[in-house]
Parts: sequence; structure tokens; C-alpha cells
Amino acid sequence: MERETLLSQTRLCAACPKMCRHVCPTFLAWRSDSPTPHGRALLVYQDLKGVRPLDDRSIEVLYQCLECSHCLTWCLPEVDVAAIVESTRTRLVSEGREPAGIRELSDKIRESHNPFGEPHSSRLDWKRPKTSDGRKIVYFAGCTSSYREKEIAESTVSVLSKVLGYSVTVSPEEWCCGSPLFRTGQLGSALEQAHHNTELLNSLEGEMVVTSCPGCYRSLTQDYQKHGLVVDKPVVHLSKLLSDSVDRLPQAESSPVITYHDPCHLGRHAGLYDEPRSVLKHVSKGQLVEMERNKDNAMCCGNGAGLRALFPEESRVIGRARIEQAEATGATQIVTACPFCKNMLASQARSKGFVVDLSEFVMSSVKSSGTKAKTD
Amino acid sequence: MLEKELTTIVGRDHFTLTETDRLLNAHDASPLSEAKIRAGEALPLADLVVFPASAEQISEILKLANRLRLPVIPVGGGAGTCGGTLPVYGGMQLDLKRMDKVLWIDDESMTVRAEAGIVGIDLEETVNRRGYTTGHTPTSLRASNLGGFIATRSGGSMSSLYGKIEDLTLGLQVVIPDGSVIECKAVPRSSVGPDLRQVFIGSEGTLGVITEATLKLFPIPEERRFRSMSFKDVHSGLTAIRMIFRQGVFPSVVRLYDPEDTAMSMSSHFEVEEGSCMLLLAFDGRSDKVALDEKIAADICLKEGGKDYGEGPSKRWWEHRYDMYYPTKFTTSGYSIGDTIDIVATYDKLERVYHSMKKVMESHDAVVMSHFSHMYQHGGSIYMIFFTSQSDAESAWATYKKIWDDGVAACLREGGTMSHQHGVGTTRSTYTADELGSSFEVLKSIKSVLDPRGIMNPGKLGLGVRQ
Repeated sequence: MERETLLSQTRLCAACPKMCRHVCPTFLAWRSDSPTPHGRALLVYQDLKGVRPLDDRSIEVLYQCLECSHCLTWCLPEVDVAAIVESTRTRLVSEGREPAGIRELSDKIRESHNPFGEPHSSRLDWKRPKTSDGRKIVYFAGCTSSYREKEIAESTVSVLSKVLGYSVTVSPEEWCCGSPLFRTGQLGSALEQAHHNTELLNSLEGEMVVTSCPGCYRSLTQDYQKHGLVVDKPVVHLSKLLSDSVDRLPQAESSPVITYHDPCHLGRHAGLYDEPRSVLKHVSKGQLVEMERNKDNAMCCGNGAGLRALFPEESRVIGRARIEQAEATGATQIVTACPFCKNMLASQARSKGFVVDLSEFVMSSVKSSGTKAKTD
Repeated sequence: MLEKELTTIVGRDHFTLTETDRLLNAHDASPLSEAKIRAGEALPLADLVVFPASAEQISEILKLANRLRLPVIPVGGGAGTCGGTLPVYGGMQLDLKRMDKVLWIDDESMTVRAEAGIVGIDLEETVNRRGYTTGHTPTSLRASNLGGFIATRSGGSMSSLYGKIEDLTLGLQVVIPDGSVIECKAVPRSSVGPDLRQVFIGSEGTLGVITEATLKLFPIPEERRFRSMSFKDVHSGLTAIRMIFRQGVFPSVVRLYDPEDTAMSMSSHFEVEEGSCMLLLAFDGRSDKVALDEKIAADICLKEGGKDYGEGPSKRWWEHRYDMYYPTKFTTSGYSIGDTIDIVATYDKLERVYHSMKKVMESHDAVVMSHFSHMYQHGGSIYMIFFTSQSDAESAWATYKKIWDDGVAACLREGGTMSHQHGVGTTRSTYTADELGSSFEVLKSIKSVLDPRGIMNPGKLGLGVRQ
């Protein structure tokens, strides 16, 4: 972001009586004026003006942000605090001033190509269902589905193959998409991953690349392009692909009442609100109820932009609050379309199975309806 | 020692001496704060910020502060427009944002009990889910909180029907400076001596810390209808408003824009005659009652020469009522500075106050536009909004002060009061003695009894400057 734009945007935000603060998840977690959009903007503004440089606590405040952009929904002058934070983080990293925990994250990704520090060789250690021999498609599984939420990877391949009839390629050479690095300002490390993935995806045969992770989707479609890296085939999120083929999806014999949690990267950052809903309405036969805060007003799960890595306790407070919002709808299951969201929300749910991914929900309906696989 | 004792009281995670945190908690939404932020200037900082979780913790904190003679500045949402939470003498900001719970809702009595740190919109949405409204929806609803509403004696945009915060507050819990936790019982009325709630409502943190309150609730109205009428001048519009109340009709919204404010706020959206004054009305309640109220009000307006604009302007205002609270490039540019003097007077004085203030404020190179809102049976408020743009910061501040000094003097001279809902804070502190006249001594006496060491929010409300 250009300096003049940063100055004018942060000046506006710093002069606001905090009209978005009430929806900021980190305000909810800390209940202080420091980790708020206004607080972040004021620190950046004073730094840019040369009034007060960012000190260690300021840097900590800038890393106490989920970059969820919920504040932007409530901002009449449309000040993009997430972009301001990310741009400032990038500068801090270039100056070697990022928090140590963030540097460790980068080291792990550069060494093992995933943020968990798991061996790269075990990336495909999940049960890959047999795929059909239909049209070829590439599934970019992402780190969380590969290592922590393996059911999502398995269900995604199943739904692509058994329900939509694709021949699915998953490459063992896939690296982290770079999302955690882009979001935390580690541009150099992010681009290393991005270059590799672009080359890899362009070398694979398939009519499109499908992601089940909105973080991967945003990186591949927005961050890579911003830096001149072009994947030579369409990149789609699973929810979009499924909604385009909604008539071919099974319907559950008896679906629980469900509610949908909008992942920030899929909703506010990519504008995909209706696609997952159309899938869920169809599959559940209309058993979808909305949370009070939904679509562009949906609350973040608390698991983004490095917050959980640096501040796990506050991250959980946010996840717990979102679970309570889901419970208030009376739904017996919350469906999301993001492995990162699922991971956080499931950790805060009272019962196992309360949180499922879209791919899992569709596949559970296949099982319950006894629908046979449809292939082209 | 202070750190050790605070750690015992609230825990080490719930107070901070870090400069960055003190800076981020230092300001409110007053023009002074905003202008200083824009200019990159420092605001007065507290020495520490404490985040208590209960009245008991606040009690211990006040005992400690009293012992150390440490100024204590209670902070709510930090959205005030008068500098009421600025720590002008340093000391401790006592930030109540962790005390954010709705404790209970009583369906039978239609009341709600909540902690003071709850943000206004969170409280309103919680009671909305149960089919109620607090009826208290100031423009700052998203940013201010319950304790701040009460401490500043605020009024919502629908106060003509539902009442102001002093009408809505049935019960109150306050921690007074010696650490005692006192309760003002939640009853619809009492004849047991003076109403002590009113000592604390509007006390701006100078007499104690408001920690909980019981508020009235109202059923969400079955219908809300909007109507707009334009008048040839302020006088005929005010006459129509008086007659509407006299007929026993209480609109939820009554806002009369003077020619300048009509031009500013309405003319880019609606065809309005130059020099005309737009009246916005809203009616809440049962559909049949609302229809009757609207008809009575419309007939009165037409009889007074009003031109019917239907629901358009009023409904548009309602849908955009929070927009004016956001900063714009215009309001944050260069050395432009604006503010609002929200005065009140009875009908017999209202127009005189308006014309006198407008004249003196305009004489200082200010653009002045006004609307009459928060109207009642016996009088109402005028939002005297002004902007001035000068070539440098020094001239801007000097002009700003002159506008305030002369504007308030004109208001008081003509028999008005200098604030309807914004409160006193630092902006109006030096005018308080003139405003209250002989009764100011009573306020000072109350202060000296409750807060003999003058630790509570010194420098505000004309009180408690540390010796």
C-alpha cells in the first residue's frame, strides 16, 4: 500500500469514534481499546507521521489482528484495516522486527512446507479414496486438510470423484500455499512457496484446480496474481464447483437442522456467500438456518493471520463465542467450508461432530441417502 | 507497591503501564482528541490503565487510589464528545469494558439489569432478541456503553417518546470513592427522600463509578411510520411541533432542520425550496394508534403551512442515522474543526436562543447549521453545529474557543442550558459555574463529602481540580 494511501486511510480510522469496534473479534477477546481496528490505525498513523515509532508493544498489537475484515463491513469510509495491518507487517518483517513466533512459523514452512512442522513426506498420509477415470481435475489439499483435518481431504476427493465423477490428482509435491506467510507479512518466504506451487500446478494435467481451503483459494487466486504468478487453469473453491452442479448432488434422507459459518477468506475476501448456502439448502432439503451474524457480517472463527500461533487463549475465546452464536440458532450441526475454521470451531464445540466441513456434510448425505455415485 | 496491590486486586493481566496501551486508551471522540490525533500531537496520558471485572474489585481499587491520592478516570466506550475521559491530571484510567454482561431480563416488569461496560448496541440487540427495545439509541450506540450513557446523562434519538437515560434508569449500583458499593433500588417510583439516582446520573465519574444499572424496556413497536413536512421557516415548524405535543401525540422522532441544515442534509437527496426547513417525524406503536398519531400530526403540520414530503426524508434519515458519526475527508482535513453545542430551552426562549447563538457563532467565521431535535411538550434541544477552517492550527483553536465562549454565553444569557445530552467533560467544564449559578455550590458540597480527596475524574464538570 502506498504511503499516501496509508496516511489518509489511517488518519480517517484514527479520527473515528470506533464505529466498528463492537464487531472486532479481538476487542471481544481482550476487551481493551488496544487490539482494535482504531488502535492499529492510530499506531500506524503516528509511525508514518514520525510522531511515535512502533515499539515492541505496538508490533504486538499489530499482530493481535485476525485480518478478518469484519471492521470493513461496518466502515462507511471503507478503510481497509486488514490491508493496512498486512502492509505494515510486511514492512516490519523486512526490517527484521516481527515477533519471534512469526519467524518460527516461517522457518517451519520453509523447511517442511507446512506450518505444523510435520514431515513433508507424510503430506499424503490420509486415506485417498479411489478416484474415477472421468475428466481430470487437480485437488490442492492445503496443509490443514493434509495434516490436521484429514477427513476434509478424504471427503473432498470422494465428492469430486464419486459424486461428480472426476479423476482427481493430488500431488505429493504440493507445498504450503503461503497464506500464513502472506497474512503475517513474510512475503519472501510466501513467494518461495508460491513459485513452487505455480510451477507444480502448471505442470499437472487437469481442467481446473479445486481447493477446499479458502486460505489456499485466496492465495492462489489473489496473492499469486498480485505478484505475477499465474496458474494456467481455473482455480475454484469446492463450494463453487458444487453449487454449479447442485442438481447432481444427493439429498439427505433426514438432515439435522444446520447452520453455516462463513469463512472470512471465502466470504468477505472472495465474495462466495451464496454458493455454499445453495449446496447446503439442497443437500439438507432446506434445513439451513442462519446465525444472527452471517455473510459479510459473520464473525471470524479466531484462527486467522497468525493469531492462534501467537495468542492461543484469546483465539479460543473468539472460537467459543462463534460456537455460542451457532448454538443460539438451535441448529444441531454447524457446517463450514474451511479446514482452518473447522479446526478452531471443533476445538471449542461441546460435542464431537457438531462442526463439519461442507465436503463432509455432502458425503454424509451420500451415505445416508444411499445414493450411488454418478459419473459423467 | 501500586503494581503489587493491583496484581492482588485484578491480576497482572488486567492493568497496564505500557505507553502504547495508555496512548490507545487516552482519547475519546471529542474534536480536541481528533484534531490532536490528526496533527500527530500527544494527548494527556494516564499513568496506568486498569480493567476491573467487578464492583468488588473497583471498591478495592478506589480504596487504594484514595490512599495514594491517585486520580481515577472511569472510562466507558471512550466515545464521548466532550473530553470527559481525558486523563488531564494523569492517574489511573478505570476501564469498564470487561464488565459487559446482561445479568437478567425481567419479562414481567419489562426491565433489564446489565453491567456498565456493555456496549450500547450489544445491550440493544440482546433485548431485541427477547422482543424489547431499551428505547435508547443515540448515534454513538455502536461505540458508547451503558455506564457512559448514565454518566453523561445521555439522550437517544427517540427520546421524545421513550425518554432520556434519567427516565429509563430504574436502578443503579455505584461504587463511591471510599470504596462503598451502594445500590439505588430499582423501583418505578419512590417518595423516600430525594431521588439519589439523579446524583449519579450525569456525574461524569466525578462522584463514583457506575457499575450496574436496571433499565426500563419497551416492546418492539408493531409499526414505525415516517412522515416529513417542510416549512417556510423555523418558527412555523416549531409551532407545528408544539401543537403536536399539545394534542397528546408523542412521536418517537421529531427533528426540525433549519434552512442551512436542510440544504446540507436534504437538498442532495430531495427537491427542497431554498430557505425551507424540513421536519422529520416518526411514530412508534400499535398500527391503529400510529395511523391516528400520524394523521393528527400531519393535519397540524398542513394547517401550519407545511408541505408534505411523505415518508422519504424521514425514512432516509432513519436508515442513515449513524452515518454522520463517521469521519470524512472533509472533517479530518487540514485545520478544519467542527463541533456541536447541544443546547436546550423551553419553547418561549428557544427561537431567541437559536438566533442569538447563530449570530455570535457566525461572527467568528463559522458555518453554522442547526436542527431542533429531542423535542418535548415544553421545549427541546437545538444542535448548533459549526465548522470553521483556518490557515493554521493556532488560529483554528483560537477561533474554536471563541465560538464556544460566545455561543455558550448567548445560550445562557437567553435562558437556555448548554447541553442536552453530550455532557460537560473538559469542553464545558469552565462554563459550569455560570450555568448552575447558585446551585453550583450544592454540587461542590456533594463532591467534597463524597470525594474529599478529589480523586475522581479531576478537572471535569467544573469540579475536583487536584490541589
